Amino acid sequence: MTRAPSFASDILSLFSARGAEPVEVAILQPADPFLDMAGEDLRRRIFLTESETGATLCLRPEFTIPVCLDHIASRAGTPKRYAYLGEVFRQRREGGAEFFQAGIEDLGETDIAAADARSVADAHALIAHCLPDARPVVTLGDQAMFEAVLAGLGLPRGWRQRLARAFGAPGQIEAALDDLAQPARRTPLPEPVAALALDGDIEALTSHIAAGMEETGLSATAGRTPAEIARRLIEKAQLRSVRLSGEALAALKTFLAIDAPLAEAATRLEVFAGEAGLSLGAALDLFSRRAEAIAGHGLDPGAIRYDAAFGRPLDYYTGLVFEIGVEGAERPIVGGGRYDRLLTLLGAEKPIPGVGFSVWLDRIKEARGFSSTSEPGREAMRGMGEGARAPGFAP
Amino acid sequence: MTLTLALPSKGRLKDAAMELLGKAGLPVLAPDDPRKYRARLEGREDVEVAFLSASEIAREIAAGNIDLGVTGEDLLRETIADLDARASIVARLGFGRADVVVAVPDIWLDVDTMGDLDDVAAEFRHRHGRRLRIATKYWRLTQSFFTQRHGIQVYRIVESLGATEGTPAAGSADVIVDITTTGSTLRANHLKVLDDGIILRSEACLVASRRERTGAEDEVIAGIGRLVEAVAGKE
Repeated sequence: MTRAPSFASDILSLFSARGAEPVEVAILQPADPFLDMAGEDLRRRIFLTESETGATLCLRPEFTIPVCLDHIASRAGTPKRYAYLGEVFRQRREGGAEFFQAGIEDLGETDIAAADARSVADAHALIAHCLPDARPVVTLGDQAMFEAVLAGLGLPRGWRQRLARAFGAPGQIEAALDDLAQPARRTPLPEPVAALALDGDIEALTSHIAAGMEETGLSATAGRTPAEIARRLIEKAQLRSVRLSGEALAALKTFLAIDAPLAEAATRLEVFAGEAGLSLGAALDLFSRRAEAIAGHGLDPGAIRYDAAFGRPLDYYTGLVFEIGVEGAERPIVGGGRYDRLLTLLGAEKPIPGVGFSVWLDRIKEARGFSSTSEPGREAMRGMGEGARAPGFAP
Repeated sequence: MTLTLALPSKGRLKDAAMELLGKAGLPVLAPDDPRKYRARLEGREDVEVAFLSASEIAREIAAGNIDLGVTGEDLLRETIADLDARASIVARLGFGRADVVVAVPDIWLDVDTMGDLDDVAAEFRHRHGRRLRIATKYWRLTQSFFTQRHGIQVYRIVESLGATEGTPAAGSADVIVDITTTGSTLRANHLKVLDDGIILRSEACLVASRRERTGAEDEVIAGIGRLVEAVAGKE
């Protein structure tokens, strides 16, 4: 096993001074939760093995999911802030496969703005402590803000969901927007399905599909149900003649191009909302309170950027996402974000809000080696691909 | 100097490969003992022929244990992560044509494209308490097509080494990624290929492993490539 870097104990003291409780996480983990949450693509990037009884196990590739699983299993009360430091294991074609990560997961805090700000502040303090000479650059994004814009524009549900899923992946957003502005021609539906879908006759359509399933020996309960297929057919039929309007498209593009110091971001968003004629309501309110809370931690909001297009296309991220880099480093050193959907997906009985961050200790080590000469590589970061920005799943 | 050329050890791929080599003026001399898996090309002392299974040929090319092989592009791309770094396709042979496709139940009337499948996959967990399941033996091709090409993250792969077309009806998967030539097996199992669901149009290829060789060896490989290419795909 590789040894933890020399500054690891400083990080643990910092975590304890900031009131986070240290946790131990098993190195060998069931693989399914990771594959279920992050997707099959993770399979080629983690170390899988099998137990004698055939259960698929892996070396922990990150900490957030196991910390949440342990929290659920222990039935611990909330709110709770867990701190960890240890190795994670990733397969790469070149270079090592063992990395040290440290971070804090904050579970169950209901004051969202305060918890978000504290997570950013904790991560920032860690960087300031380990890299006293570096100028940390914080970038924030907000999934909830993008969803509020989609809702404010009055887009149909199916479109909103598709765009929300692509958030943070520029190529996919563009493809989705093109498709909505000029949908590809669809294969015509057979009769009587076409007429039933056009009429929105869900009952007749459902029983038609149920009959079809029975005829072809497909279970109506094991997977997609007749009603589910019927509903989506009708939804598609209704959207068939609808195009994304030029104004909505322009508004979305204007929004996604917003990139401003956090101190000005709320105003920029208000101006945008006013010009586009939509209300951002609760999302903007939370955004402003979060920005104030971040400033309240003594962080300079002029040194923090809000990038409206910054997000992570994983379905458990729900609000704030952030990363911290330093000048001269190509890759972000910290990745963090709010994952209010994760604990329910992992089996928690009640929804538990969560926010956390993870720091790559090897990247701190690297950053200690070079002087601050150039602007941090936002462009380089953009080129790294979607998964790169997930705090847990960066390459 | 002896280079190794691996040919499929059985089936249509073997027959077609032998026929093509014959037409190219490189007839394979069957071993004296038909139980032996080694043979030679007529008049060529510089090439030894080995008979291996098509998937083994892909693995041995990746490992650099053989110089040349005839196998399906699907197997090459599935078996070798960094195909271009480890091997080069010398010639496409015009037989063994098959498509690797994404197919869903016919009755999913609302699903025609990968975009539709993306919608379905995204909501699947919420509706059914589990991720969408894809049955396939093509892990790598499926992952790169779904995730890298179409940005679909949330699905699970169920390994299926045979009768993949039957898995949706059996309830062990929702959709499949499989190989098809005429589509008749898919139709018989009430499955349809998505409009943009063709992952790979595969055919048999003559492939060379990448490793250090002498100029003379390289020339032998290029020469065989030219002879084969001249007759490939011509009936």
